[in-house]
Amino acid sequence: MDIDDILASVDRGPGASPESAALDHQLLTRFWVAERAVSEVLPWPAPLMERIMDRVRIQNQISNAVQHLQIETIEDLAASSETTLPTTANTHNPNLNLRLSILQTDLARSQYIPRATKTPLASQTQSTASSQNPNQQPEDSVPDISELTDLAPLSEPETSFLHAHQTLLAGHYAASFMGAFPRQLRRLDDNAGGTSMIQGPDLKEVVFVRCLGAEVPVAVGGEEEEYETGVTMRMGDVWVVRWEGVKGAWGRGEVELL
Amino acid sequence: MAFPLPRGVTASEIAFLAEMETVTIVPRQRLEGLELLGGPIEPLVPPRRASLPLWLALLLKRQRRANIIPPTWLHPEPLALILEVESQHQDYKNAFSPPPPLPGQPSILDRDALPSARPQYTPDGNRYYAAPPFLPQNTAQTVISSRDTPSLPFHWVEVGNLLLDAASDDLVDPDQIRRLLKDLREVRMAKMRSGVDVLDAAATGGGGVALTGVGSMELGEERGFITGVVDGLRRIGSSKEQARREQMAEQRANGGYDGTQDDDEDEDYMEF
Repeated sequence: MDIDDILASVDRGPGASPESAALDHQLLTRFWVAERAVSEVLPWPAPLMERIMDRVRIQNQISNAVQHLQIETIEDLAASSETTLPTTANTHNPNLNLRLSILQTDLARSQYIPRATKTPLASQTQSTASSQNPNQQPEDSVPDISELTDLAPLSEPETSFLHAHQTLLAGHYAASFMGAFPRQLRRLDDNAGGTSMIQGPDLKEVVFVRCLGAEVPVAVGGEEEEYETGVTMRMGDVWVVRWEGVKGAWGRGEVELL
Repeated sequence: MAFPLPRGVTASEIAFLAEMETVTIVPRQRLEGLELLGGPIEPLVPPRRASLPLWLALLLKRQRRANIIPPTWLHPEPLALILEVESQHQDYKNAFSPPPPLPGQPSILDRDALPSARPQYTPDGNRYYAAPPFLPQNTAQTVISSRDTPSLPFHWVEVGNLLLDAASDDLVDPDQIRRLLKDLREVRMAKMRSGVDVLDAAATGGGGVALTGVGSMELGEERGFITGVVDGLRRIGSSKEQARREQMAEQRANGGYDGTQDDDEDEDYMEF
């Protein structure tokens, strides 16, 4: 068994080419940087993540197989060194160690990004929780997960994590101090007195963007017909602008968050 | 469970991103091509040049399996030229020297030419425009045309320092390069600080502040300061902005908005 046999034996699935792997890697890297740059939860790129995790799994198998091969080689080497000079085992595949270390470095680097993407999400989601339930108990202000059909922008595991977390938190608040409050003040999403208890992400925060399209105007105002256009960014420019102004362009892939 | 880090990638993560830049090497030994998660690696056949991601080039360099050919900009002459532009040139008193053009972007010399961005398409059908670190901005060019003005790539601080650390014997006059990089960094940091005045523009609704040519590490250093200042200014001016928006809505409701009034407000951006 040789490393080339291992590499050749792997079925990478339909439609997989080295170029698409490179493109997915670039997309994921960009998404990770973007997720870290803005206050909001960005839509979860489910198909992209699936493809990446599949590749990571396959590459992990390859790496393990090669590691086995390496151990065998070392054992051969040890066995042969007692009798003769270790020529056979070593010349057999001189680059095995190097290739293994390259494979593993690449794997470790590639796994870092999905991991690093998930951590900020977990905390951002917590600040986004909200509900429309009219009951007067802290627990009731957590929406029923089974009634939700549209999870966007969260992925399924994120939603269930968030739900469990919020239920726990609400239960704890109710037991420790909120039970003593007047009935109408017990809700976690209370908005009495004009102050909402839900803290949403700040869309007006500034971000750093690079313009990738030919020309991208900064649009602010939010509501469809009454938005005003601000400055226009040209290709290759780096700007400090409000996130709400370039959110649309980011969705179209015309700007990159830095 | 609060996420402990501030907005934006950290310095070590910026260095991690910079290691995805492509550099040119001359291998000293053969190595078969590999299909990695970050893309395919071409087979190495000495003494043919090959382009590899920086992390792999450094791995090979540390094991003396390859020599790195320094990027076109990482030589004393281009760096001295850029430093002169940054510190002496009138046009760039308050701005950074122009970055290398993106694919499809006209060079700085013919400003009239229209940019034509050429997108790739992702498997999900979205448009994708390549950007650093996935552009060959740090490779060694064999032919340098006189039209190409030297420019600092997005990850210049990181790539420069990594190469000075690990491959200084491959660089031409590394001490001089180290000095020039330090000078460049100081000149540009001074510009960044003196540009605080114009940050007010980024706090208005449709406004923004141009930082074209900024490096990734410089951005990472100043991110907290700039966002802090802009957000503070925005909070101070929020009632004014609200009033202006209401006034505009009123004008629109009264039929006809002549558009001249607010032009100066929207145009008040300046280049750093």
